[in-house]
Amino acid sequence: MTTTVTPPDLSPTPDDGKSPLSQRLDVVGRLTGRWVGAILIALIIFSILIMTRGANPITVFSEAWANTIQSPFAMQQALVKAAPLILAALAVAIPARAGLVNVGGEGQLIIGAVAAAGVFQFTDGRLAGPVLIILMVIAGMVAGALWSGLAAFLRVTAEVNEAVSTLLLNFIALDLLLFLIYQPWKDPNGTGQPASPPLQDDAHLPLIGDTTVTIGIIIAVVCAILAWVLLKFTRWGFKLAVAGGNPEAARRAGLPVNRLLMSSMLLGGALAGLGGMIYYAGTEYQLRPGLLATIGYSAFLASWLVRHRPLLIIVSSVILAILIVSGDSLQIDSDLPAASINILTGLLLIAVLGWTASPWFKKKGSES
Amino acid sequence: MIVDVLSGGVSGGTSIMYAALGETVSERAGIINLGTEGCMLMGAFAGFAVTSMTGSPWLGMLAAAAAGGVLALIHAILVVSRKANQFASGLSLLFLALGLTALYGSGYVGQKINAFDPIAIPGLSSIPFIGPILFEQNILTYISYFVAPLMWFIIFRTRIGLMLRTAGERSEVLTVNGYSVVKVRYIAVVTGGIFAGIGGAYLSVAYSQSWFENMIIGRGFIAVALVVFAAWDPLKVIGGAYLFGSALALSPVLQANGYEVNQFALDMLPFVLTLLLLVFLGKRAVNSSPAELRKVFDNARA
Repeated sequence: MTTTVTPPDLSPTPDDGKSPLSQRLDVVGRLTGRWVGAILIALIIFSILIMTRGANPITVFSEAWANTIQSPFAMQQALVKAAPLILAALAVAIPARAGLVNVGGEGQLIIGAVAAAGVFQFTDGRLAGPVLIILMVIAGMVAGALWSGLAAFLRVTAEVNEAVSTLLLNFIALDLLLFLIYQPWKDPNGTGQPASPPLQDDAHLPLIGDTTVTIGIIIAVVCAILAWVLLKFTRWGFKLAVAGGNPEAARRAGLPVNRLLMSSMLLGGALAGLGGMIYYAGTEYQLRPGLLATIGYSAFLASWLVRHRPLLIIVSSVILAILIVSGDSLQIDSDLPAASINILTGLLLIAVLGWTASPWFKKKGSES
Repeated sequence: MIVDVLSGGVSGGTSIMYAALGETVSERAGIINLGTEGCMLMGAFAGFAVTSMTGSPWLGMLAAAAAGGVLALIHAILVVSRKANQFASGLSLLFLALGLTALYGSGYVGQKINAFDPIAIPGLSSIPFIGPILFEQNILTYISYFVAPLMWFIIFRTRIGLMLRTAGERSEVLTVNGYSVVKVRYIAVVTGGIFAGIGGAYLSVAYSQSWFENMIIGRGFIAVALVVFAAWDPLKVIGGAYLFGSALALSPVLQANGYEVNQFALDMLPFVLTLLLLVFLGKRAVNSSPAELRKVFDNARA
């Protein structure tokens, strides 16, 4: 084994006698600037690309604007999609604090939805709605935690890299979902594409006012705030950051690094599982192929775009959710494939990643 | 039936093999590229589109290699020059590829092209058992029989290979001797993308001879995992790729033979298999990993 000497981090810290508040504002300002710049670059490249397909970017954007931003229904749809996005992004952010890369948001969302549907499947309408909801929440969270926990367990016992294992688990979860809805859980009364039987009406998540938005978004925002508190103000959060920053030092200081890694992944997975449950019991009411599209992967980006800050994840998730919804406008109004919107998502992350090589992004060579 | 599964394993595994060989080069230089999936997708699309336009599958392969390489170049810029996180950068490539191929690929769905068809090699193909498995394949598969050993030779027996491995093991040694680590890594990552592009085009131009959105469905990720438990050795990649190919081929072969199987339960197989192999071989494999790569992998390990 080799020892690599890495030079100490000499990047200047913006600490020239400024008050903590103005330092914070500096950070926020720089982040905002980066976002605006990244979005602009991404939009310009995207415009050029759709022009080559014969679409007029100005028409496309104005249609998308009119039918997304200015449409109350579309914005509500975005908020509906933002709930699982935020929760799955937290599932990326919390383990990231410990230096873990959880790419398994998609699988953890799916498995949460599957578990929730499973509870309904086995109780078969015999339970009252509220009881069922509570059971589904528990099942979704436990399933999500088990799914990510498996990856964490393999990481600490067999040294299987968690980025690779969570990715593989995404596909296993997806095939499990398909297996269930094509055979054992197939709705006998369903027509068209296979799906599980629709969830009983009184177990649907309540809506906010007379909108189409469920309380899922409120739950997601509360979870983001709790995650922020947990990471910033608790001993656990502090230990997690130490273990993520310098595992060697953390271990020598007697921190139970493996247990910290496990707990961060379990918590993350539970949140993503909750997100899956919310999407099932609040939006879809049945399992179907393509249930989550790629919300879990978008969540990974949402977390990276804001460097795993739980409160900013709310913002980035809503923005990405709006982008996802505007993909439908692309399809309907401009006759471009809805998946084209992924270009914008990809460019956005590339721009933000390329923009800064801040210490948060850098892999520190602290390994011997 | 066993012959069918194994022959399907060779033809289905070739795509993963090309991608995994490319990823081996990249990871030998210390850079992991989760965007392999994206590079394969770009290759599959570019290969299909150019074949369709020109009628020449060879030009298609050339375009596929270029498309995979260009996409990987973005990864190289982000992680080598900008020091961005390798996993995040790789996934951003995947999104970009998903979007680009959806945008430009919609017109090609359902088209037929002048593809690479299987060619039985006279004589060899009549060897019992082995013949139908190995020698009734398409030309790209035949080429792949030579690529892996050649790559092994280059990596372990040539000066270029030594530089590549040094970039992945002790990059400062390259610097001390006046070579550019950055240049070596750029070349390695782009080479990886080129091979991934070829692997993707193999799927669209030779294997399924069609194009549809998101047609790689996880093969790129399998390729990345495969490199790990092949212990970064091109020769071991061969076996792994055929193993996965066989797992993928199992479901169609069983169905063709009249067995009632749920396709999705079997679709899970390659991924479960990958995970299990990582568990059983993972520790040993990780110990033989390039040191620079280990830093990326084990960022939270003491």
